Amino acid sequence: MFLAHYKQFIRDRAALFFTFIFPIMFILIFGWAFSEPGVETFDVGIVDEGSPQSTSYISGALDGIVIDGDKVFDIEQGEFNEKVQSLRDGDLDAVIVIPENMDNSVHLNQPVDLQVYYDPSQMSNQQTLIPILNQVIDEIDRRMQGNIRLIGLEEESLQSHQLRYIDYLVPGILGMSLMFTGVFGGLPIIQQRQARIIKRLGCTPLRRSTLVFGELAFRIILVLLTAALIIAVGRLAFDVQMVGNWWSLCGIVFLGTLVFSCLGYLVAAFVKTEEGAIPIINVITFPMMFLSGTFFEINNMPSFIEPIVKVLPLTYLSDALRQIMVDGSPLHSMTTDIVVMISWTVVCLAFTIPFFRWD
Amino acid sequence: MSDGTKIVIEVSNLFKTYGDIRAVNGISLDVKEGEVFGMLGPNGAGKTTTVEIIEGLRIPDSGSVTVLGIDALKNVRSVKERIGVQPQSPALFPTLSVQEIVDFFRSLYKKSIPSSEVIEMVSLQESRQVLVKNLSGGQQQRLSVALAFINDPDIMFLDEPTTGLDPQARRTMWEVIESLRMTGKTVFLTTHYMEEAERLCGRVAIMDHGQIIALGRPQQMIEEHFKESAIQFKMTDYPSAEALASLAGVTNVVRGERKEEEDEEIVLYSDNIPVTISSLLDLASSMNAQLYDLFVRRATLEDVFLKLTGRRIRD
Repeated sequence: MFLAHYKQFIRDRAALFFTFIFPIMFILIFGWAFSEPGVETFDVGIVDEGSPQSTSYISGALDGIVIDGDKVFDIEQGEFNEKVQSLRDGDLDAVIVIPENMDNSVHLNQPVDLQVYYDPSQMSNQQTLIPILNQVIDEIDRRMQGNIRLIGLEEESLQSHQLRYIDYLVPGILGMSLMFTGVFGGLPIIQQRQARIIKRLGCTPLRRSTLVFGELAFRIILVLLTAALIIAVGRLAFDVQMVGNWWSLCGIVFLGTLVFSCLGYLVAAFVKTEEGAIPIINVITFPMMFLSGTFFEINNMPSFIEPIVKVLPLTYLSDALRQIMVDGSPLHSMTTDIVVMISWTVVCLAFTIPFFRWD
Repeated sequence: MSDGTKIVIEVSNLFKTYGDIRAVNGISLDVKEGEVFGMLGPNGAGKTTTVEIIEGLRIPDSGSVTVLGIDALKNVRSVKERIGVQPQSPALFPTLSVQEIVDFFRSLYKKSIPSSEVIEMVSLQESRQVLVKNLSGGQQQRLSVALAFINDPDIMFLDEPTTGLDPQARRTMWEVIESLRMTGKTVFLTTHYMEEAERLCGRVAIMDHGQIIALGRPQQMIEEHFKESAIQFKMTDYPSAEALASLAGVTNVVRGERKEEEDEEIVLYSDNIPVTISSLLDLASSMNAQLYDLFVRRATLEDVFLKLTGRRIRD
């Protein structure tokens, strides 16, 4: 059974492409398009509106942050209008404005706000720059108050935020490819039913459960291979580390395959022909791919989409994969993800079983 | 070949309804060991449904099926282990080769015959490595039959094995089935080709509207219904039925349906062919009508069906 699936699959070039090449292509394209090599350097403009002491202190502090021997911030001082224009032109990543009353306020121990201008459409700003700036300013603040040790600012402030886009992307792509492999798993059943192969096999002592589980087992092996490939490419091409426990990862990959396979079976229960099924599968998979945080973080979505996003199983699969691969979280910290995915499986099966026909 | 005394399939009072359609309407039959049993009838007569119930693919509304002494409605799997089935359409994995698909099906049974023997039996040795989708229709059908005896079954079910095949491929298929008969296997065959049933089957059940309307040996059935031969012809003018029936020697008249721009086909059954023909010629000349496409033949199963239902099998 298993072998037959294997041979058929190998001979189906389109499936081969979608399963293996497609996700890798995504990783490479998005990875190269969105990530600077190594540690990113941020160009930051500083505008002094009359507090030279604070200004030099802050630029000095930012200038002094070094990761792996590279400076993180490239500081330019200048006029407000000029700097904001550079920001608009994309030459700067952020502009910090030091207000004129800052020197005084610091002396008087009064609170003061720094203004930071940045371009939110730039992925790296949102995810990296602003959190870093926040931490750095926070640290500077405490230092200026003089009530804190001069502890390792660089490491402490940057380690948890060193998430690059590619680190975010690779688990997302893995989730996406699990979704495709799973949902498209309903297709062979439809094809074989349409070609009456299932009926043909029904004349033999082969159990139908063997038929389904054989196919599912094959798909899981396939998915594990895909996962290995994706992780390997992520690692070799972009140095994306898989931080978490491999068994947890396998578990989540397995669960993800199950959810989406059941979704595929659901399609097979309601759609009789291959021609009818493919558009429906596309309608299910493609919006999900974009809405579930495969490529971009969900927070960036307009708020009216959010309820939809919160329901989609891929959202939870990707989140779980990310937690394991990036944060190295243990399984019990992602109970919600697991519960949602199991619920989806159960719901899909509940609708599949009464409506599914073998012939 | 010979009538075994052992009964291998026993069906009684089988009913199956789909919505308003009574697909199987009270069928009972016995199949003896070693015979080629045919089910003949037009499309939609309920042949396939009946066969699929016996094979364990469908569950009847009521009735009982015993195959090889096993209750086929309860022990479906043990029956399936011992029967071979060739469904109406070949239904094979298109991207596997002949050899692979044979190996795959062998793996489904506890007991199976060597793949080389199977492939040789249906003369596909040349095409071992050919993918199923690249085989011709006849080759696919033969492969499908091969898969039906891969487990060395006690009974083989062939559902319309030659439908859609060209005459050459049909002849090859008949040879395959005849060689199966030589090996003493019981074969249960459905068909809507009466010449196929006449040539291959030891006994035939004629089905119409979910019921068996006649059952027996083909020759016996023909002789039972027709001691006479048939004269079949077309005519440019239409004589009345009475005129035809009153011709010397005529025992029965069957008129085909009148089709547009085509003269109706008339069949006269006669127990005295020379006398009937000469009076038919007289009738035609008295009507100034032309006779054409005239031929005399023995009665066939088709005639039996025609007589019993008033319709042709392939309408």
